Amino acid sequence: MKIVVLVKYVPEPTATWTFADDHTLDRQSVEGRLSELDEYAVEQALRLAETVPGAHVGYLTMGPARAVEGLRKALAMGGDDAVHVLDDALHGSDAVATSLVLAAALRRIGFDLVLCGMASTDAEMSVVPVMIADRLGLPAVTQAAAVSTDGSSVTVRRDTDEATEELAAPLPALVSVTDRSGDVRLPSFRTIVAAKKKPVATWSVADLGIAPEQVGAAGAATVVRAARPRPAREAGTVITDDGDAAVHLADFLAANKLL
Amino acid sequence: MAVRVIVGLLLIVAAFGSAGRRLLMLYRLGRTAQPVEPGRIRVGAAQLRGEAAEVLGQRKLLTWTVPGTAHLLTFWGFLILGLTLIEGFGALVDRDFHIPWIGTQPWLGFLEDFFAVAVLLAVAVFAGIRLRHRPAREGTRSRFFGSHLGGAWLILFMIFNVIWTLLLYRGAQINTGNFPYENGAFASAAVARVLAPLGATANDVIETAGLLLALGVVLGFLVIVVHSKHLHIFTAVPNVRLSRRPRALGALQPVRSGGKPVDFDDPGEDDVIGRGAIEDFTWKGMLDFASCTECGRCQSQCPAWNTGKPLSPKLLIMSLRDHALAKAPYLLAGDDHANVDALALAEAQRPLVGDDGVITPDVLWSCTTCGACVEQCPVDIEHVDHIVDMRRYQVVMEASFPREAAVLLRNLEHAGDPWGRGAPARLEWTAKLDFPVRVLGDGETLPEDAEYLFWVGCAGAFDERATRTSRAVAELLHTAGVEFVVLGSGETCTGDPARRLGNELLFQELARQNVQTLTSAGVRKIVTTCAHCFNSLGNEYPQLGGDFEVVHHTQLLSRLLAEGRLTPVRPVEATVTYHDPCYLGRHNRVFAAPRDLLGSVAGVRLTEPDRTRERSFCCGAGGARMWLEEPLGTRINENRTDELIATGAEVVAAACPYCIDMLADGVAQRAAEGVTVTDVADVLLRSVRQPEEAS
Repeated sequence: MKIVVLVKYVPEPTATWTFADDHTLDRQSVEGRLSELDEYAVEQALRLAETVPGAHVGYLTMGPARAVEGLRKALAMGGDDAVHVLDDALHGSDAVATSLVLAAALRRIGFDLVLCGMASTDAEMSVVPVMIADRLGLPAVTQAAAVSTDGSSVTVRRDTDEATEELAAPLPALVSVTDRSGDVRLPSFRTIVAAKKKPVATWSVADLGIAPEQVGAAGAATVVRAARPRPAREAGTVITDDGDAAVHLADFLAANKLL
Repeated sequence: MAVRVIVGLLLIVAAFGSAGRRLLMLYRLGRTAQPVEPGRIRVGAAQLRGEAAEVLGQRKLLTWTVPGTAHLLTFWGFLILGLTLIEGFGALVDRDFHIPWIGTQPWLGFLEDFFAVAVLLAVAVFAGIRLRHRPAREGTRSRFFGSHLGGAWLILFMIFNVIWTLLLYRGAQINTGNFPYENGAFASAAVARVLAPLGATANDVIETAGLLLALGVVLGFLVIVVHSKHLHIFTAVPNVRLSRRPRALGALQPVRSGGKPVDFDDPGEDDVIGRGAIEDFTWKGMLDFASCTECGRCQSQCPAWNTGKPLSPKLLIMSLRDHALAKAPYLLAGDDHANVDALALAEAQRPLVGDDGVITPDVLWSCTTCGACVEQCPVDIEHVDHIVDMRRYQVVMEASFPREAAVLLRNLEHAGDPWGRGAPARLEWTAKLDFPVRVLGDGETLPEDAEYLFWVGCAGAFDERATRTSRAVAELLHTAGVEFVVLGSGETCTGDPARRLGNELLFQELARQNVQTLTSAGVRKIVTTCAHCFNSLGNEYPQLGGDFEVVHHTQLLSRLLAEGRLTPVRPVEATVTYHDPCYLGRHNRVFAAPRDLLGSVAGVRLTEPDRTRERSFCCGAGGARMWLEEPLGTRINENRTDELIATGAEVVAAACPYCIDMLADGVAQRAAEGVTVTDVADVLLRSVRQPEEAS
């Protein structure tokens, strides 16, 4: 069985993000990491692979040169190989273009199961997985809290506000997992050392038979006109209790129409 | 005479044969372990001084006066009574034997008898201590809890036997005219007076029988010693000699695999990080295990053991030793395990750490690395190093550690601090200051006029209580006219919690980044308020090529006071007690500066808790325990808080953000009215500020 995990190299959430002249995030000036939510998909892929003899786990990412670090991190957790779609033409791609590229890459890699995180921690759109499933004609099961497979189908547990659902889909299929799906492993020394020797292929959009104008800022359906940093959060009001704190608190709540 | 020679020779052959076989096995077992660090073998003044103070001077034993004195007398007794062994073996072949030149002088006879009596008294004292502090009476509070009690009594009984048989034959020798000393040997003379009425023939028989009995006892004792915890009489001397000087505290040792340093940039595939099996320890580690005398001084001071956790440093070392001995046939068999007996094979299958392992995870993760055990150990066993080495294997090789630690490790890896707040927030603590703090920008070098780099630390930047300390120190330095800069977002965790948790990879990553930042900024002198940062920067960064002069803020402030650059003007009327942070006090020997600082403030009445200075009791936060749950036993911080509250202090002063957090939580838990926990710098600031600006 061949499992491909879609992973994204995202800017570190706690770092200061700055925007370039074209209003895209300046990826060079900020530390990046493998999206934390994607780590859960990697974890689930590795756990599934442990249950299926001869399973193969590969990773696929699209992003700037440094995105290979995200693949290396995933490979350090486990798995076999990775593909990095790297092309200057991809700069400024929207979700539609991203799904186009990843779907083409998945077709070229070949797979039985595609796993992804529930969202990226930067754009947080959650749409790319279903767009890919649509392009590839795959059954898509999103927001899975548990995943299992018998080799010919995938079974998923999904917790909603109202119910816990159990869904099954024949393979090939696409599944996205939540951050409740299970603790993520820490890479061990041996897997880190082994990861350095695992193959990472780099493909361009041309390799995928995609025209440059279909992707990137040029191919995007929307345009970012302006990007301004949000003002820093203002410090709250501290009430020192001199016996009348409750009154001040009630006044505060009333003034803000919370009472 | 023929009887003496024949029986004596038989005894010697039997005892030396048995003891020799055992010692050879132990030696071969040690050879299966890893090579030691090259620095261990070096003989320098420090090593010789250590040997003189700790072996000959019994320094660490004497910190406990009564048992220490008894042990000193026993130790020197056995050295001196070694002379009676020469006399005894000599008397096997020559009834009238004496040691050449000095062998008949009265002072030597006196010395021998003095120590014979002294050892006898010491045995009585030891027996008294063992009865009084027996585990049946004191339970886990007894330092002997878990020790081999029967074995210990057997040793005492054997020492007693050595002495009475010695005095018996010496007394008889006096009566038969074969004693080397005409006078001086007062105890032997007393025995002689008792034996004299039995007549010449009886004394003749007693002399020979007593001599053979005495030598038989000594030789039997030798066999017992090499098969028991009393082996320390042979291993303690080399173990003290090979131990880290001045002590195995402060820095943790760099990781070595197969005796060679591990290159973390390009690690070898076969490199083993830490200890995952008993043979992964170095032979010095094995010597540590063989040196443990089960005295329990470590156990009596251990914060984990004293709060009902399963970790006792003594039991840990004993477990490792027992496992090494049980696995020995397997290890000594080389690659062919066909003839190894079933028990040894079963032992070889046991994991070193695991629920059914030699050391359980609860034991391994209970350690705060406070170093109280290392401080106490009279034979210089390096408990903390062994524990961290086992953690290293668990974390780095097995990715196995308490679940909560995952959050800490993630935050350190991605945000560079334990809270996950991230570099951009590192200057928030300066907002409330009424003067600007100079920040060293990315790629800038330290300005000429800036004397110190103020290493704020993660707690100092993010922890509510610790930011108060950061501001107090900044204000005091500003008042004293000391120019300093901070790194702001250029700072990242020193890696202390990662390293003490065993995650050496993460430590290397963080520490190298900091060394790079500090070195390229041209930093020479660093002041820090965090005892853990202080230890890492000063003691561990040299391992990575970062050589800085690192001072703790209490040291710098007390120097500024001494130079008159800071003047306490306002009395602070309060009873203050001081809690020694482990990584400032025990690990780095900074005891005086914080006390000088508190002493300089008028009105402060300083009271000491019972456990103080070298014997200070951990707050519970070291060894990354700050970030782990504490579900076992009672809470360490509450144990310590109770002791500090009991001093009657209104102010509990400490000098480490972790301690302050833990103790403040303890005070809140106990709902102790009128007790505040704060940094010593805060007490000083209250006094240095003019009354009108005091807040």
